[in-house]
Amino acid sequence: MAEDDSEWVVESIVGYLGSPEWVIPVTDFMENKCTVFDDEDENKLSYTEIHQQYKKLVEKLLENYMQEVGINEQQFLDACTSPFAKSKTLQSVFQPVLATDDFQMFRSLMVQKNMELQLQALRVIKERNGALPECLTDGVDVMSELQQQEMKILQEVLKKSKEEYDEEMSRRLLLEEEVGSTSSICSNKPLAKSGEARNTISAPSQQSSTAKTNGNPVIKEEKMAAQGGGDAKSAAKSLSKLIPECGSNSVESRVLPAVRAPVKSSEPSVSSSPLTKEQSSSSQTAAETWLEEAHREAGFSKPYTELSASQQEQLQQRAAYLRQQRDKLHALKKEQQKTKQTATSEEAPSNPAPAPTTTPEAVGQPQRNGACTPPLPAPPPPQAQHSANSSKQKEISAEERKKLQKRKHLADKLKEEVIKK
Amino acid sequence: MGEAQKGLLSVIEKLKGSTEQEVRIVLLGLDNAGKTTLLKSLASEDVNTITPTQGFNIKSVASHGMKLNVWDIGGQRKIRPFWKKYLENTDLLIYVIDSADKKRFEETGLELSELIDEENLKGVPVLIFANKQDLATASPASEIAEGLNLHTYRDREWQIQACSAVSGEGVQDGMNWICNNIVNKKK
Repeated sequence: MAEDDSEWVVESIVGYLGSPEWVIPVTDFMENKCTVFDDEDENKLSYTEIHQQYKKLVEKLLENYMQEVGINEQQFLDACTSPFAKSKTLQSVFQPVLATDDFQMFRSLMVQKNMELQLQALRVIKERNGALPECLTDGVDVMSELQQQEMKILQEVLKKSKEEYDEEMSRRLLLEEEVGSTSSICSNKPLAKSGEARNTISAPSQQSSTAKTNGNPVIKEEKMAAQGGGDAKSAAKSLSKLIPECGSNSVESRVLPAVRAPVKSSEPSVSSSPLTKEQSSSSQTAAETWLEEAHREAGFSKPYTELSASQQEQLQQRAAYLRQQRDKLHALKKEQQKTKQTATSEEAPSNPAPAPTTTPEAVGQPQRNGACTPPLPAPPPPQAQHSANSSKQKEISAEERKKLQKRKHLADKLKEEVIKK
Repeated sequence: MGEAQKGLLSVIEKLKGSTEQEVRIVLLGLDNAGKTTLLKSLASEDVNTITPTQGFNIKSVASHGMKLNVWDIGGQRKIRPFWKKYLENTDLLIYVIDSADKKRFEETGLELSELIDEENLKGVPVLIFANKQDLATASPASEIAEGLNLHTYRDREWQIQACSAVSGEGVQDGMNWICNNIVNKKK
């Protein structure tokens, strides 16, 4: 056969192998017969019977086609062995034909088809019922294992951020008492630390961070039992409830109740009830409402003088205790900050000076809580913070980097989950 | 158009056009003879987790520049009727015997002679593995060859090879014979 002859034959054959006359009967056959084909190493005797039937089907189809087009087997063979037909793309087209002579190839085609159908069926069931019945979900163990791991990480992060929140808290209380004279160490260092991160923060997000710092004490207070207030407990309860329930989401929720907490000190009755209500709503929308509220409440919670006498007393006690803590932590912090400061000092000067009472913490927060912040549903700014943080990670000491990496990992997971939803 | 009678599938066969020479080998024998163990040992796979074969196994083994596609079909009595469906286009028959199972020598002899008479196996060389030589009660290969009347086979190449599929002893000798024989035959 002439060279140019075989080329149109190949094209014609390829066209036929893509046409409904070929595809429909072959696909029908595969879909009808593939159910017995599993992934076991051993072949069933019935496979051979099905393979024989398949051979007959293909032979019949090809014979009909060749008669129609008017080519003989030699032409067919020449065409199929031509270099044109040997190209990668055409190889897959010819696979169903070659499967007649190659049982292993046939078997793998059928196993694949069977798997496709099973996945399709699972999808349909899921769409209809919203979820898979329990009998169809294996891999539960793996999931729970993953969740357990996630929980471990979460707990670790929770602990770490709690410690840091405590630090912030000690400083915050000090600031509250010495309102005017806060400018010293506390305000300067976080400022430098935050560097570019603060540049990207919009006003509302700063506010939210502030609220957060205000709220942190709740956790610590619980531990200390200094407060013992019902509201603090309820807040803590909602925390512990949320955490086991919603896996990675709990970071959001955990941070958020803390945001909510400042209200407790100023208006105790209000804080506990919305918390419990909001538990029921989906974590994301709840988080957003929380944030909004936090924004508002951050303003309310400040006026120290408006508090009742007993509350003032409690605050004093707390302050005393926390001041002790602060002194201990301060030395530690100083060292850490020094390293950070050297890393980010170039960026610091360009930052606008914030109000001394609130911003130091607000600004310091995103840095320290790095990955915790991004998953907050608060709009774009946190994302920007996050990227700023990650760019800085390299410059931070190895210990700090480890911490941040852990959190970043968590944040990525969270992001993934949120995006999936 | 005289070719058309030859059947389209023989044409498709040529399509594969692999550079490697492919050899189709069928591995048969009574149940518990050690066929699957032999197959796995040929493929250098673990031989400790083998269960009675209900269907069939296929392994492709590269040897002497050839691709040996070995089909191991279950040997239980109820499966044996299916053997003949796998004999078409076979280049070589490997027949495995449990050398320690003297009680069934007669039965295995009958099955072998039936296979030899199969149209699809006409002239096909046969290698008999006298397996399980690692067992103390195993009969020597020469004794088995006599019992099977192998010396009366005139229409084909044949060979009996003592082996132990578990230890691998003797298996390679058998494969060497196969490769030499196929090369000779295909020339």
